[in-house]
Amino acid sequence: MPRPHPMLLAPLWPNPLLALPPLLTALLMLVVLAPANLAQSTSPGPDEMPMAERFNHWAWQPLRVVTPPAAEHPVDGFIAAKLRAIALQPAPLAKPHEQLRRLWFDLVGLPPTPEALKRFGEHPSDADYLREVNELLASPQFGERWARHWLDLMRYCETLGHEFDFELPNAWRYRDYVIRALNQDLPYDQFVREHIAGDLLSEPRRDQDGNNESVQATASWWFVEQVHSPVDSMQHQADRIDNQIDVFGKAFLGMTVACARCHDHKFDAIPTQDYYSLFGFVQSSRYVQASLKEVPPESDAYQTALTRQREFSNLWLPDAKPVASGVTFRDEDVVIADANDHNSERDNSQWFVSNDAFGSAPWRGPFCANPNDEKPQLRQLPGAFWLSATAGTQREGTVATATFPLEHRYVHVRTAGDHSRLKLIVDGFHITRNPIYGDLHRDIDQQEAHWITFDVQMWLGHQAHLQAIDQRAPDLGDPRHNRGNYPDHCWIALQSVCNSPHDSPPETASLPQVVVADLASAKPKWLEAKQSLSDAVAALPVSPTIPAMADGSGIDSHVYLRGDHKRPGEAAPRRFLSALDAAATTAPKETSGRLELANSVLAKTNPMPPRVLVNRLWHHLFGRGLVKSVDNFGALGELPTHPDLLDWLAQDFTNHGWSIKHSIRRIVTSHTYRQRSRRRQDAVASDGDNELLHRQNVRPLEAEVLRDTLLAISGRLDSKLYGQSIEQPEDAVTNARGRPGRYGPLDGDGRRSIYLAIRRNFMPEMLLAFDLPTPFATVGRRNTSNVPAQSLALANAPLVHELCELFAKRVIEHSDNHAQRLQLAYELAFARKPSAQEMKPLLEFVGQNQDAKGEEEVRIWTDAVHAMVNTTEFRFRR
Amino acid sequence: MLRQAANGFAMLPLAHLLGRDASAQTVASNGSLGNNTIATDGNDGSLVRHHAPRARSIIFLYMDGAPSGQDLFDYKERLVKENGKPFGLPKEPTQFNKAGNTLGPVAKFKQHGESGQWISDLLPNLAKSADKLCVVRSMYADFSEHTNANYFLHTGHGLQGRPSMGAWIGYGLGSDAKNLPAFCVLNGGLVPPGGVDNFHSGFLPAHSQGSLFRMEGDAVANIKPLESDARQRKQLGLTRRLNQIAIEADGHDPAIDAAIANHELAFRMQTAVPDLLEIDGESEATREMYGCNDEYEHTRTYGRQCLLARRLVERGVRFVEVTMPDTGSDRWDQHGKLKRGLDRNCKTVDKPVAALLADLEARGLLDETIVVFGGEFGRTPFAQGSDGRDHNPFGFTMWMAGGGFKAGTSYGATDEYGYKAEQNPMSIHDLHATLLWQLGIDHERFVYRFGGRDLRLTDVYGNVVRDLLA
Repeated sequence: MPRPHPMLLAPLWPNPLLALPPLLTALLMLVVLAPANLAQSTSPGPDEMPMAERFNHWAWQPLRVVTPPAAEHPVDGFIAAKLRAIALQPAPLAKPHEQLRRLWFDLVGLPPTPEALKRFGEHPSDADYLREVNELLASPQFGERWARHWLDLMRYCETLGHEFDFELPNAWRYRDYVIRALNQDLPYDQFVREHIAGDLLSEPRRDQDGNNESVQATASWWFVEQVHSPVDSMQHQADRIDNQIDVFGKAFLGMTVACARCHDHKFDAIPTQDYYSLFGFVQSSRYVQASLKEVPPESDAYQTALTRQREFSNLWLPDAKPVASGVTFRDEDVVIADANDHNSERDNSQWFVSNDAFGSAPWRGPFCANPNDEKPQLRQLPGAFWLSATAGTQREGTVATATFPLEHRYVHVRTAGDHSRLKLIVDGFHITRNPIYGDLHRDIDQQEAHWITFDVQMWLGHQAHLQAIDQRAPDLGDPRHNRGNYPDHCWIALQSVCNSPHDSPPETASLPQVVVADLASAKPKWLEAKQSLSDAVAALPVSPTIPAMADGSGIDSHVYLRGDHKRPGEAAPRRFLSALDAAATTAPKETSGRLELANSVLAKTNPMPPRVLVNRLWHHLFGRGLVKSVDNFGALGELPTHPDLLDWLAQDFTNHGWSIKHSIRRIVTSHTYRQRSRRRQDAVASDGDNELLHRQNVRPLEAEVLRDTLLAISGRLDSKLYGQSIEQPEDAVTNARGRPGRYGPLDGDGRRSIYLAIRRNFMPEMLLAFDLPTPFATVGRRNTSNVPAQSLALANAPLVHELCELFAKRVIEHSDNHAQRLQLAYELAFARKPSAQEMKPLLEFVGQNQDAKGEEEVRIWTDAVHAMVNTTEFRFRR
Repeated sequence: MLRQAANGFAMLPLAHLLGRDASAQTVASNGSLGNNTIATDGNDGSLVRHHAPRARSIIFLYMDGAPSGQDLFDYKERLVKENGKPFGLPKEPTQFNKAGNTLGPVAKFKQHGESGQWISDLLPNLAKSADKLCVVRSMYADFSEHTNANYFLHTGHGLQGRPSMGAWIGYGLGSDAKNLPAFCVLNGGLVPPGGVDNFHSGFLPAHSQGSLFRMEGDAVANIKPLESDARQRKQLGLTRRLNQIAIEADGHDPAIDAAIANHELAFRMQTAVPDLLEIDGESEATREMYGCNDEYEHTRTYGRQCLLARRLVERGVRFVEVTMPDTGSDRWDQHGKLKRGLDRNCKTVDKPVAALLADLEARGLLDETIVVFGGEFGRTPFAQGSDGRDHNPFGFTMWMAGGGFKAGTSYGATDEYGYKAEQNPMSIHDLHATLLWQLGIDHERFVYRFGGRDLRLTDVYGNVVRDLLA
């Protein structure tokens, strides 16, 4: 382990000891403000503790094999043992309706239906309870509920933020991926592997339609904020990767790895070298839009299309001879890549091809990009080109060079294309727009081979790669973004890239290139060949795309001294955290090494992923994790209240195939989960904050659950799964730059809240008021605030009114009898019947005008159910 | 004893609820306030107080888009003399990369008041207040793009997600206002680049985020009841009754008690907010002074904002931010048509800001209220194109007034072109540290633990600039 440089240890705070628990007076205030915050205040951080000693911290220790104390349910054994020590018994079972409501909210995020109430009955047996659990776990709404928890960890959003809040095209598909994965109970280790390296699996997981599921998880890397025209592109790269490492560390490992950016971690066994080792993995990876359904170029269908392309072209130009590229490079030109040399002895260039548009090798000879055009054009480009049109123009793909240093002022690129794009990506920065980066993006609309020249004086010495894009999805902040998707007929060709001190491109011999076919006088066999080319192309499925990771050149970073990218220190070869990977396996040179990283993260010797995950499940089911600081198991995090239970749950989880549903079932069938939540006088002194779980916790419904519940009880809920996000109504969007430009209805079409568009700069106001987190970092534990804006929303928001009116109409239609109406309203809103004590004021309220009919009747009942919606019983889950 | 405090929560005055959401419900907040060697539960409900405060509230007149000091406050003879000539110093890379020749101020400057402050003729009313101002001509920022710089100015950090200074202050000090949030944003119509995150609570509890008051339509989201008062009262009565029955059945729970109190409070806010916004009760002279009757519509809007700012601090609101109306010149971001943009914007703010200072002083509020005027960075002393100025984070002007800042003072200086801060450079973190200091807070001890780190408004930087303080 490298010893930290003394300078790197300069304290971040004037006196780190002051960062320790506040004095009693402060503590007192915090109690008043936030009782549960009191949980064992953090133990003193071992600042300056030698790295080796930091390994003694509990979280680094392997999972222990623990035998649960004897009990009917293993979870209860652990809990009861701790309660016994303070002379407490668990609370009795919650009332049946409370149990049911709790289960529904926690498992599917919706209120129980009247049918479920009936099914569950007044005296449910354990078997009835288990059946309900299993039904909920099997329902598609389970995935919608739990996906939202996961999205919080990934800071899910559909835009890049900053000045113009550019869209991250197709980001919503990731949300659907998570919902599907949870509904299918994808083993969590596979889920993690796909997040880290889903694009690199030799056998990606596919859905029944053949869509690649695995690659979709890697979209999560791109929910990072991106700046519009940063003056320092390297600084921006460092900031982006910092956020990506932060999320990686917190979400999968429960570790604040990113704290080691400027110095060795102040408290945990994470030297700054580790941080830059991880940095290299991300630096070696690139943003692409990945196809969900690539057709492998070696497959029969793809090869058939290529053959038909040849046949058609050969018929047309039977005597076509190979044409030389005609390019003469000068001595000073640094050839970065040249398709002419592909697979030849001269070829040192590495190409990075994603998706299937470009096939597996450059193309030589004539081709027809759009055979179905009125006047199909046969074209021949001189020499070999990576060409996206040979198997039809609807294929999606990018081809890119290796990452290279910008040594000379000019980059010359030989290209051709139609409605496509060429980009020079400097320091991984994709938003190639004015004012600074506009010239790094070129629209390619010239179908003859030609040179494009980039002047890179501003970035001399930086790392770059050249990318040719033929995809319908616009790029990040695409200057042509107003056009929406790119048309079907676009294609691009890329031959060579050189970095040169000359401002003019290399000498090139000119050649005739275009033959226009006149099919009006076409021979039948041409028409036939054209038809079979069209058929072969049409047989290849067109694929949607998703933001994803793709491998670039393997790059090892250097430590940035004090986090300053202008001060590179020693090299930091790519490898996993040294504390968890004693073998110190470094990543291969040719690839990013993310697959190896995924394997290290999921190594049996790493206790973090299962421990962190089961703790998250516990958090969502009790409102507090066994480790309260769910995203930080480090020395500054909280200690586990039940370390044995935590390890037992983690073992039980991995022993059952990393099944999230199994572990949830395990927990919710415990008495501990099912017990009552009301406060107990006998526990005030010994367990006032309920750390030891002498009762369940009372919790407010989360933003999404609250809105979804209103939709459900009003009958407005559209239970449709998946799809593009629903935008906000126009008048709900503030007048600022980057306004979405498309808008949706007030009630979001009745769709569940997880389908509402999450735009960084235009977050849904109502959900924000109820603590939907801003997507900037991993949030495993949301704030639960209590602000007037919430009460105002429930009292006055037009949406709430609209839904209450629907709710009222629903109960009016149910019966003419007031008591029966109220019974239905209560079942929907509270999952129970109203008591006699409640019936009295309710009947008085709705009976104020016994004979009211029509609008007046609706008004009275709307007010009544609105009053119910404003009660705390409605807003809280007991 | 602690337990009693928690149980007794429901008895806390409502001001606590609004001011700090004392709601036991902050329960699962992501972090906690750490490191306050002195924490008080003083009568003002503050969490933090390290020393006796010199000021009680802040009004931040946020000049979105970055006004040019060279045209307004930072007079440089060389700029006048060398107007149109090649720029005499090396130029840093700029946002638009179209740096041209030296560009002199678009209007004349004069010295004003006993203090002899240089102020442009574009600000005739403000010029009369010269002796109230503490002008810092040596500000610098770390970012030259709006969004980063906006986040930086507001949160001390260039990326999204940190709490705004108003949120920090509101969280730490609570609110003296009975029915209003501690951090209010009077939105003139434009939300600055970076969006409402400039006013966000970040990792602090949600209640500390800035409440946006719009100048058009409903000032506060959902503040207007959709049913008649009688209907709503009846409804509230039923809700109360049902809540009560539930408590009788299930017992008290602090979270639920807090929610109930909150509900009641929201109901009362429905009256408090319209009362605040109703400025007809102000004298004709006052409204006239603020420009509420001005013929230029943006002066009217900004005048109303400034008047409301006074009414807010009068009611005990801790931090008021006033943003720009849309004058049709893209905020203060004059990459071109410099003169036109400055004319419009100056006309918009000049009269109202001068009135605000005078009014606060007349009511004895200026002593305890800090007025801060400035943008996220400055502009280049050389032209962008022919008649614009590009972004310049290296040197710019801000001023403070009241709240214990030295009146009629100039501090720091840029070089002879007004390009870079040269004498006594003052950072954004220094500004934050100094503002906090005046409120009785030591910025180094005001930290909040989040994600495993103790975070503060000033990151790991910042010094209190005592030379500015009376």
